[in-house]
Amino acid sequence: MDANSIMASLTGKFPEDIYDSNIESGIRIVAKVKPQNVVEVCRYLKDELSFGHLCCEFGADYPDRNEIEVIYIIGSYDHPVILTMKALLPRENPVVESVVPVYWNANWYERETYELFGVKYLNHPNLKPLVLPQEMLGEWPLRKDYEGFPNKTAKNLV
Amino acid sequence: MEETVGPSEMIVHLGPQHPMMPGPFRLNAKLRGETIVDSEVEMGYIHKGIEKILENKTYLQGITIVDRICYLAALTNEEAYVGCVEKLAGIEVPERAQYIRVIMEEFSRLQSHILGMGEYAGFVGFVSMFMYTIRDREDIMSLMDSVTGARITHSFLRFGGVKDDLPDGFKDDVKYVFGNLRKAIDQYEELFSSDSIYKARTVGIGVLTADVAKDLGVSGPPLRATGVAFDIRRDEPYLVYDKLDFKVCTQKAGDVYARIQVRLDEMRESMYIIEQCLDQIPSGPLFPEGTAYGKRSPVMRVPAGEVFHRVEDPRGEMGFYMVSDGSDKPYRVKIRGPVYPTLQTLPPLLKGVTVADIVAIAGSMDTCTSEVDR
Repeated sequence: MDANSIMASLTGKFPEDIYDSNIESGIRIVAKVKPQNVVEVCRYLKDELSFGHLCCEFGADYPDRNEIEVIYIIGSYDHPVILTMKALLPRENPVVESVVPVYWNANWYERETYELFGVKYLNHPNLKPLVLPQEMLGEWPLRKDYEGFPNKTAKNLV
Repeated sequence: MEETVGPSEMIVHLGPQHPMMPGPFRLNAKLRGETIVDSEVEMGYIHKGIEKILENKTYLQGITIVDRICYLAALTNEEAYVGCVEKLAGIEVPERAQYIRVIMEEFSRLQSHILGMGEYAGFVGFVSMFMYTIRDREDIMSLMDSVTGARITHSFLRFGGVKDDLPDGFKDDVKYVFGNLRKAIDQYEELFSSDSIYKARTVGIGVLTADVAKDLGVSGPPLRATGVAFDIRRDEPYLVYDKLDFKVCTQKAGDVYARIQVRLDEMRESMYIIEQCLDQIPSGPLFPEGTAYGKRSPVMRVPAGEVFHRVEDPRGEMGFYMVSDGSDKPYRVKIRGPVYPTLQTLPPLLKGVTVADIVAIAGSMDTCTSEVDR
């Protein structure tokens, strides 16, 4: 299976949900996905296109666009193509469906994205902080407008 | 894991400081008698916030930071980071520098496997083995020291090349060390396969089947021990791996013994790769000619863009996702470590085993908590 046929299959199946898709090279494709249908798209990717390996899932903050991107990097054990799929969420209330039912190892990735960016995952089995202490919940430290680092840290050190 | 305990059940907390742990993480296990009913991993005790730190450092300063993700795999971490920047900026690495990188990264794999294996032998009660491996690993560390000038955190790669060339007489040193190391690895294998107590603790324990391992997102030796030949050096070749001859080591059983056997085989393959590289290495510059790369300039601007680059770490798939906005610092860096999904698999793997096997199973994953927490 090559990048072109994967892209044709994906956009053919989800003409409404997949947009801004692009084939960067023979092994890298990028696409944006409507946040409402992330789970369905992921299930199709896993079952029909043998994208069985979730490399990682994480967030990126864009205050100037007022958006948080949740980025899914999905690879495969059978073909070398990697899909970078982005779901764009509003910064005030980022909510997206959890993909844990499809990709089991998304569990920790989603917990980490939740505590670092404040992205709330619906139907997540155990959405609680992973790497940060409980007191820091709500500070969303990897957002760009977080004041605590490096300013607070530097002041404390000096 | 449910916090409530039923009759004749209890919760035991292992760690964060525990002799078996290669770093601090906590395992909460719910027991019924000797059997584990349910368990939960808690991590984050050494969370360093490297992803946030990298956003506030220039690209060149970042090389030193990514070394600290996991000191056992410092060079492969650097390769993933440097490879991202090279892809974004479109830098072509000269062939000699690519060969030197492959040599050093395979040394990194060699010393990581040798330590991981020795540590594991210590976990299951074979402590003298740990001492043997430390003795033999020291020779590899000295070789790496002679090239990079450091034993563990090397800061050796640069955008477009490497910091230094190989020293004079390096090939003879390698030949001498590898002669001893081959004998040592044969000796380890002999010790492992002939020791009945060791086999009783490892054969048929912690079995991971191929389908389950794929579903759980495992990569590296634990996955290859289940028979899945997934190796990024072969599937998505970077550097000069497509010009080299090596095989992807796999085992069928998927148990603890198979994982250690995969590491033993991979050490032999790494030595074979290094010898090929030393024979094939061409002469030439270390940095692309006619460019400023390699000159001492702290500020470097990288064109805007996003890239995902992955390499084969000693423990599996190491990937960096980098977003650049055209300034001298990365906008966002995501580090995808190989042990992060592997550590998640402990609760399903430990279900139904006895307390004594926790160490045997968790240790065989060669976890590096520093890299999980980042």
